[in-house]
Amino acid sequence: METGFIILFGLTMLYLAATSRIIAHIRLLIVQGVLLFLICCCGFEHHNWLNIAFLTVETLIVKSIVIPWFLYKVLKKTHSNRDVAANIPHFYCLVISSLILLAGFLASNYLVSSVKMISPIYFGVSAAVIIISLWLITIKHKIISNVIEFITMENGIFLLSLSVAKEMPMLVNLGVLLDVFIAVYILGLFVNEINKEFNDLEVSHLSDLKDYEYND
Amino acid sequence: MINTILIFPIIACILVLIIKNKTFNTWMVNLYAVLHFVITVLLASGHGAKNGIPYFAVDNTNMIFLIVLSVVFLMVAIYNTGYVKNLDVPDRRISHYSFMILVFVLSMTGTLLSTDLGLAWVLIEATTLSSAYLIYFNKTKHSIEAAWKYVFICSIGIALAFVGIILLNVSSGAVNSMNFAQLYEHASGFDLAWLKLAFVFMLFGFGAKMGLAPIHFWLPDAHSEAPSPISALLSAALLNSAFLVIVRVFKIMEIANCTDYARLMLFVMGFLSLFVTTVFVYHIKNYKRMLAYSSIENMGILAIGMALGPVAYYAVVLHLIGHSLAKASFFLTSGNILELFDSKRIKSVSGIVNADGKTGWLWAASFLAICAFPTSVLFISEFLIIKAMILQKHYVLCVLFVLLLTIILFGIGRVVIKMTFGELSEDKAKLIEENKKKVSLWMYVPQVIMLVIVFVMGIYIPDYLNDIIKLAVGAF
Repeated sequence: METGFIILFGLTMLYLAATSRIIAHIRLLIVQGVLLFLICCCGFEHHNWLNIAFLTVETLIVKSIVIPWFLYKVLKKTHSNRDVAANIPHFYCLVISSLILLAGFLASNYLVSSVKMISPIYFGVSAAVIIISLWLITIKHKIISNVIEFITMENGIFLLSLSVAKEMPMLVNLGVLLDVFIAVYILGLFVNEINKEFNDLEVSHLSDLKDYEYND
Repeated sequence: MINTILIFPIIACILVLIIKNKTFNTWMVNLYAVLHFVITVLLASGHGAKNGIPYFAVDNTNMIFLIVLSVVFLMVAIYNTGYVKNLDVPDRRISHYSFMILVFVLSMTGTLLSTDLGLAWVLIEATTLSSAYLIYFNKTKHSIEAAWKYVFICSIGIALAFVGIILLNVSSGAVNSMNFAQLYEHASGFDLAWLKLAFVFMLFGFGAKMGLAPIHFWLPDAHSEAPSPISALLSAALLNSAFLVIVRVFKIMEIANCTDYARLMLFVMGFLSLFVTTVFVYHIKNYKRMLAYSSIENMGILAIGMALGPVAYYAVVLHLIGHSLAKASFFLTSGNILELFDSKRIKSVSGIVNADGKTGWLWAASFLAICAFPTSVLFISEFLIIKAMILQKHYVLCVLFVLLLTIILFGIGRVVIKMTFGELSEDKAKLIEENKKKVSLWMYVPQVIMLVIVFVMGIYIPDYLNDIIKLAVGAF
């Protein structure tokens, strides 16, 4: 069961790489949040109630309701529906993401024997998710897509933190949740501001600050 | 004591949000600065270190960082009093501005004092989020671009640092704690392969915040677009907080017997920082960007100093103090120039000495301080670093180090001299006569104090300060 959810989580990244409608990306964030919740559920017998409550709030409420809802509002305000002009066509995006995911699975296969502290399949998939997200950030043209990929990267890191056989201290978990939440909030506010200032959300507008031809 | 330093700003924040009055808000920041300074002095003299709250404590390592932060913040607060008077914005925005300064300094103080790696991570991220608003304060196209890059690059960097923390958790085996003391205690039993991987992630993550070379891109943009007091705080305090975390992680590597690996990484990033500065400082069109690049250079020197090992730690601490004070003074003076000339372009600024003598000489003196002109304390620190390199027989690196520093010195010096002593045109002089009223006494005094400290420390370091530095060196 658990492994199935993790693999599904990895596959959502392929969907992200292959589509260009931003509303679809936001829906995908909801799916990822729910999947993360289900993955947590599989391990609930090892946790105390405080941790269970915390994980539920983090995955179900913040990751699959609050953040997508907020991004949806930003999207409506800024009227940006598609990220069409990616540097690389979707087909190649899909191929490259699949290769990275495959590498993740292979790595987890090799790791099975060598490590004790970490569950291999978690590690492989989360590493692949983080790398795919970072790579997608570099090729997308709309800043709102960059925010979405930032969140998928955070989801990947969350999965990685689940993979460690012991718990992170509660305080740190709470802090991380708060920081990610505020980061997304601030990035969302900036998306709005940039939209107001430039009438568009293209990353290429944000390249005026440089050392050579500086115009102030 | 520690509770006060951490709880007071929270109360002050609430007050600042409720009472939206320009004078009140500014003085609230000043009050915190004074309180911060007084408490730091008390802590440094050994009072009240015990009754702290869990997760926060002063120890030998962070004491000197706290002192530097405190002094810089006090000076910036003095400058800020004059700066805010010139701001032509509604009281509501001043209230937000003061609020964010309080949160920013609180999170930096928290980072320095935290005894837990996870908590330090959380607070470092908090510094990013609070300073983003400050960078965007002017609400221009450029400032929004700078703030966006800053938040985005630093958040990704910090996220990767968190991957590093998780990997450290993996490598630490049965130790279920992120407390530095416990990590040091058990570091010799850590799994080395995972530890090395963790160090790479953490160095890149916190290095992004510190402004080390391959991930420094946010730094010149953010420093040049932020209001000048904020640039000074960013450069002189924020970079140090990230450096402290790197120092602490480096110590884990040292205890786990992975020093060679960690040193190599620091060497590479340090020299890369110097190299990047050397290349870019020559074509620079904006003087605040030039200062930002100089910060990258100095962070590079700190990284190199760490990489050289215990012989250079004393130099690292001296360099840290010197750079923070001199660079804060440099940035604050650049704020005066911006007020006078209304431009950040190097081309449109010349003859500052003729325009406003005090600003001109402060600009020149700050340059002398930062370029390690004796008796600046940076002279001693750079000299000691070069000496350490020769003692360790890194002759090629030593030559490269001196060469790069000289080129950077020439690059900055050329610009500073042109700006300070060039001709002043007629129409510029008129503009400046009008703008001169804006630059009040508040905006000269802090630079003078900091420069005096920098130049005096080159000849004479008081015993009590020397003791603190030595304790820090021992704990590095």
